[in-house]
Amino acid sequence: MIGVLKGLVQTWKTHWRKPVTVQYPDERLPLQPRYMGFPGLIWDQAIGEPFCTGCQVCMRYCPTQCMYVTMQDNPKQAAGESKRRKIVETFTIDISRCISCAICVEVCNFDAIEMTHAHERAGYYPDVVPDLPQLLKMSEDFRAQRGQKPARETRDVL
Amino acid sequence: MITERRLDTVDMHINVGPQHPATHGVFRMVLRVDGERIVDCVPYIGYLHRGFEKLAENEEFQEVIIHLDRTDYIAQFNNEFCYLMAVEKLLGVKPPERAEYARIILAELNRIVSHLMFYGAFGGDAGAITPFLYAFRERERLQRLFESVSGARLMHFYFRAGGLKEDLPEGFLEEVRRILPVLKQGIDECDTLLTENEVFLSRTVGIGAISAQEAIDYGCTGPILRACGVREDVRRSDPYSLYPTLDFDVPVGKKGDTFDRYLVRVQEMRESIRIVEQCLDRIPEGPFRTPIPRYPHYRVDPGEVYVHTENPRGDYGIYLISRGGVQPFRVKLRSPCFCNLMALPAMLRDAYVADAVMVLGSLDIVLGEVDR
Amino acid sequence: MPASLDATLRLVVLTAFIFNTVLVLVYVERKVLGHIQQRLGPMRTGFHGVLQTPADAIKLLVKEDLTPTTADRWVFRLAPFLVFVPVFMMFITLPFTRELAVRHLDLGIFYLVSFSSLHIVGMIMAGWGSDNKYALLGGVRAAAQLISYELPLAFAILGVVLLAKTLNLQEVVELQATAPFLVLQPLGFLIFLISSLAELSRTPFDIPMAESEVVGGPMIEYSGMRWAMFFLAEYANLFVTSAVAAVVYLGGWLWPFLPPADLAGGWAAHLVGLAWFMAKTFALILAIIWLRGTLPRLRIDQLMGFAWKLLIPFSFLNLFITAAAAVYGGFLLLLGWVATGGFAYAIYAVSRRRP
Repeated sequence: MIGVLKGLVQTWKTHWRKPVTVQYPDERLPLQPRYMGFPGLIWDQAIGEPFCTGCQVCMRYCPTQCMYVTMQDNPKQAAGESKRRKIVETFTIDISRCISCAICVEVCNFDAIEMTHAHERAGYYPDVVPDLPQLLKMSEDFRAQRGQKPARETRDVL
Repeated sequence: MITERRLDTVDMHINVGPQHPATHGVFRMVLRVDGERIVDCVPYIGYLHRGFEKLAENEEFQEVIIHLDRTDYIAQFNNEFCYLMAVEKLLGVKPPERAEYARIILAELNRIVSHLMFYGAFGGDAGAITPFLYAFRERERLQRLFESVSGARLMHFYFRAGGLKEDLPEGFLEEVRRILPVLKQGIDECDTLLTENEVFLSRTVGIGAISAQEAIDYGCTGPILRACGVREDVRRSDPYSLYPTLDFDVPVGKKGDTFDRYLVRVQEMRESIRIVEQCLDRIPEGPFRTPIPRYPHYRVDPGEVYVHTENPRGDYGIYLISRGGVQPFRVKLRSPCFCNLMALPAMLRDAYVADAVMVLGSLDIVLGEVDR
Repeated sequence: MPASLDATLRLVVLTAFIFNTVLVLVYVERKVLGHIQQRLGPMRTGFHGVLQTPADAIKLLVKEDLTPTTADRWVFRLAPFLVFVPVFMMFITLPFTRELAVRHLDLGIFYLVSFSSLHIVGMIMAGWGSDNKYALLGGVRAAAQLISYELPLAFAILGVVLLAKTLNLQEVVELQATAPFLVLQPLGFLIFLISSLAELSRTPFDIPMAESEVVGGPMIEYSGMRWAMFFLAEYANLFVTSAVAAVVYLGGWLWPFLPPADLAGGWAAHLVGLAWFMAKTFALILAIIWLRGTLPRLRIDQLMGFAWKLLIPFSFLNLFITAAAAVYGGFLLLLGWVATGGFAYAIYAVSRRRP
């Protein structure tokens, strides 16, 4: 009976404390800087093309095989603007299968892919397979959020 | 003139699970009951089998880690710890001291997280709704820490062969130092809510008891075995990493019943806090990973190794065979939950239906690990 | 006004009152439990979630009403109503204030006690009719529990009847003008509270509905309207039981500040009386919710043991003391306090005992 009374006192005290929960859609807890959402592709500001060369290493190491990448000859290289001989042609990630493990980031030889903070993808018609422009946009938004320089030209080129 | 008439009754079979609030996942047990008494119990497992061991054979050593996160999905750091010690043994590298301490800090914090999860779910099994929320309030503090370290709240994928993925974030150690007293207070609050509560005691003391010999025969490890009074803890009996240098006690129970299992876990949370405090004082600056050639696609020399660690749920072992190359030849998991679960029918002798729920809760099974 | 019209009007008002009270109670429970657990509870529907329970009620009404194919159809369909109707009937003689009641029955307490045990029938029917083993287990648990706790409940309230020498609830309240029966019948009050917790199947006695064991017990197969009926009955029962405790032991609309002389007529007096009654009832309800936020549940055998080994003997003792006091003089009622101490010690001793 003593223990029951102690428990009652405990719940009584807790009742007057401030709630620890947040009202989710209205307020959000801040994400940690390292938070891993879904991956996005980084834009090379200096040249004006993605860092990604379409080498498919991420595709091979992806544990859920959720990526699809193709490669093409880089037109800018022919024009002498870029050193990259090959460049990504298409890049899709099925984020309904992506497990946000960041293996793609780890194996990438060009540091072309990064984990963004995008994670709220629920909706009635969720866009679950972002393509290359959308992936670039994800990274762009992410960098804009974090105060890094956004890649404004993304939309114009691709 | 009185004739005695025997009332013939038929035992009833009750199917508990795979979808049932008390099975903590997708476990199923078929109880044969005589009224409220359990006559027999048959556990069925395998609903969450994802073929981790087979998957691991087709992936690089580095990639296997993500599957380890998904075996015991409440104690991810502990699983990664065990697997990477096996890989490091085969590779012949030693992680730097900073990484070792960071691993121990994270693994012990993860033990607290896991035991808090147990505490909440166990309270729910007993019919109290508040312990669950209390436990999650405390758990959330640690989950936020984990998020700041690894970027994920659940599947961390943070430990690497030779050390860590990246260094601990700035201010992490100070944050841990700040949170530990709060956590201690939170655990005390959880303690007052259940441990002394007579209703809870009447539901747990003496329920589902097995003897130490029986527990050993079933291959029980971890809190289940320690509750029987056997002071068996891999961190002490087969020390690994830097545990021999750390000062902590191994709490044991007396009777091996449901309550002792609960109490052992609550005490272990306090011991884990002690370990973390010591690590915080000692953790040096320095590199966080020993360089390995061709990382992350490192080659591992042929050989086989068995490493076991003390997970929150018991003796978690990994048997790793390499035939050379970048992929393991075989990864075999010694799952503590699986062995603990096998003792369930023995624990349920002469129990009530309500006890079945409590005993199952006290085993603290994680089906991801039982079924792999 | 013809008597039939008058009765109909009163019943309509009463029905509306019950529905609204249930909505309020559900909201209060969710809010209080939320804050006990350091969260906010419903927040999104209306100001601080006040419209959450009406929204839930509408949702339940429009949901499909499923009947399992193997169910015993009529038993299954009838059960929710057999649970609700007795609870509804209990409201009829409940005196909110001196004037405000559907009917002042001279056999009020007898009527209440008899109807309070009737919803067991509905529970058993639901348990049996669902053709579900969890439901069956829950139904049988409900039967055992509710019948066992009916006895201490009735015996506890019998003490008050002995003192008041009437079964009319209105007169019982009038007799408490100087002091509520809580002072004269502390043991009876305790036993009444504990056994009404069990009658209500509330924590720590929510064994028939135990979510982690029999997953809702008799209600497991119900959905939509019929499930809402169970819900309605449960919360209406919570209200009416607390109200009975308030009326019988805490002085209903009278105690503590309102001298009966002031009460004669006048709307203001009525309203103050009603406020007192509601305050007492809700205090009891909040205490019950508080208990729910704190305690785990007992096991069925411990529950039965508690009823037969502790509550029933002590309710007999209470009855004896009261009877002796009625015959030999009121000073003997002091023994009731001694017995309460004994009761508290007995619970303490039982709770200390370990297998």
